[in-house]
Amino acid sequence: MLSSGSQSALREANSARLLDAVRRFGGITQVELAETTGLSPATVSTIVKHLLAAGVVETRTTTRSGRRAQLVTLAHKSGLLVGVHVGMRALQIAISDLGFTLLGSQTLPLPSDHRLDTTLDRTALLAVELIEGLGSTTSEILGVGIGVPAPIDPRAGTVRDQGLMKGWADVPIAEVVSARLNAPVAVDNDCNLAALGEARFGAARGFKDVLYVHSSYGTGAGLIVGGDLHRGPRGTAGEIGHVLADPRGPICRCGSRGCLDTLVGAQALIDSLRISHGPLSLGDLLNLASSGDPGCRQVVADAGAAIGVAVANLAVALNPQIVIVGGELAETDDVFLDPIRGAVNRRVLISRDDALEVRRGELESFAAVQGALAFAADFTQVPGVR
Amino acid sequence: MNAPPLLRMHHISKSFGAVQALIDVDFEVKHHEIVALVGDNAAGKSTLARVIAGVHQPDSGAMYLNGERVQFLRTSVAQARGIATVFQGLALAENLDVTANIFLGRELKENGLLAEEQMETLARGFLTRLNARIPSPRTPVAQLSAGQRQCVAIARTLVGEPQLIVLDEPTASLSVAQTAEVLTHIQSLRSLGLGVVLISHNLTDVRAVADRIVVLRHGRLNGSFSAPHDAYEQVIAAITGATTVHP
Repeated sequence: MLSSGSQSALREANSARLLDAVRRFGGITQVELAETTGLSPATVSTIVKHLLAAGVVETRTTTRSGRRAQLVTLAHKSGLLVGVHVGMRALQIAISDLGFTLLGSQTLPLPSDHRLDTTLDRTALLAVELIEGLGSTTSEILGVGIGVPAPIDPRAGTVRDQGLMKGWADVPIAEVVSARLNAPVAVDNDCNLAALGEARFGAARGFKDVLYVHSSYGTGAGLIVGGDLHRGPRGTAGEIGHVLADPRGPICRCGSRGCLDTLVGAQALIDSLRISHGPLSLGDLLNLASSGDPGCRQVVADAGAAIGVAVANLAVALNPQIVIVGGELAETDDVFLDPIRGAVNRRVLISRDDALEVRRGELESFAAVQGALAFAADFTQVPGVR
Repeated sequence: MNAPPLLRMHHISKSFGAVQALIDVDFEVKHHEIVALVGDNAAGKSTLARVIAGVHQPDSGAMYLNGERVQFLRTSVAQARGIATVFQGLALAENLDVTANIFLGRELKENGLLAEEQMETLARGFLTRLNARIPSPRTPVAQLSAGQRQCVAIARTLVGEPQLIVLDEPTASLSVAQTAEVLTHIQSLRSLGLGVVLISHNLTDVRAVADRIVVLRHGRLNGSFSAPHDAYEQVIAAITGATTVHP
């Protein structure tokens, strides 16, 4: 409603528009702000002054094409957290302040069986670039959390099993990255971090006993018991991708026979559609399933049923308050979740009275990287402001 | 899946004097597919791209677009048939803004005047579709980073509803963050249903986004690989000639 009070409403709307642009670009100069928001340079300057006084944004002097310019970023004087998710096929990095306000993020597609040296090198370079884009330096990093898709030995911080990530075993990942960024770094399994992400910022908030299932190129789980992540002494807790699903099945990358991942890993899903659909990527398959392609829906639903059995078994043993399902497969929503619910509800012990709820994660593909931010804040014991 | 491939090149040969740039090359791109073209310097990658774009005409062989035989005598003919190419130099006009560059040579007009507003709206749309981080379509290209420029060059290909996009070394000399953006744009082109030919030296980048990798060596085809399945070593062996398809 545009009335006589619209002056302040207008200022608020403009201010929201400006903040939106700052969030989208991480760091942006005042001149660019005027261009992208369509506000006049004078208005931008006034709003920035107000936001600066309120402690919402910070400004730094920078140069753009040789001229001095005022770089505007969200306030992050107290320091930076870096969250990294090294996935099977993508690297995600997020930079936040201590209040977990996202300051910048980037996703880099990775090849299958990506090499440790190239990936860690790119991780460090990408983090530095994002931080420099905020007008900051690596000296402002308080902690770096890294999630990788393999069990991590909690004491050594290394991938222990040769087969799961080719060439990554026994390399001190944290040391390598720490030497490049000159900041404390800790490494954990990506499903554990995704569980942590959902517990702090997503669908598992407020629960102390959580079974988080992450289905992507492979399937894993993160277990939160009594409010804490349960990793186990070898770090393999929650590796449901490697429970026995078919005693006569093929040999898995890990060396065992008939692992769940040999049935529901991305390759198995794609292979089962080769004759009918030709070569697909996992993304194609999930998009087709979401848009109603019967063959792809069948494949996703069957994967849900197989994973559901493992989840139900684990839920009987663990007795969680809630099951949260995340990862790319969860993007197909009920196509994937309903068969899991079905399997869980067939176990009488956990379906009695108020049945165990199976809920979709809220952080989608950002669960692990957000969990990595929380992990970074936790292990460096910086007082996180929530 | 019996639809004809988006582009099929059949026994293409091309010589420049004594130099045999392409010898009997078969090449195929489907809709919704990223095919990488890799090989040493002077393996014929760029020549093949130029034949697709209509810069060069093959000495022999045939080209089919959606099953229909085509001959691109000029680049404008290839463009009109939905083939857009980004060459290594990018060919952007530094002094013009992003919108003007996107519509360069294909400006929209209204009563004989430039339809500036419409072009700006469309340019904004292209940049959004590619998830581009460019503050404004009014920014002069001279002020953009190398990655943003590559993005403008890719956005330019979206003018005129293309079917096939040819990218010559899009990630060469880019920083990691810029590479990340360009690779993400290439994936978005694929999700738009387009076919993409990606020429690159960087096997990491190629294997990250491509569906298939085609190796050229001394103008000949030296193997075709599945990007998600086949290992670095196999592709490198084919590039260096440790393995050959031809005697």
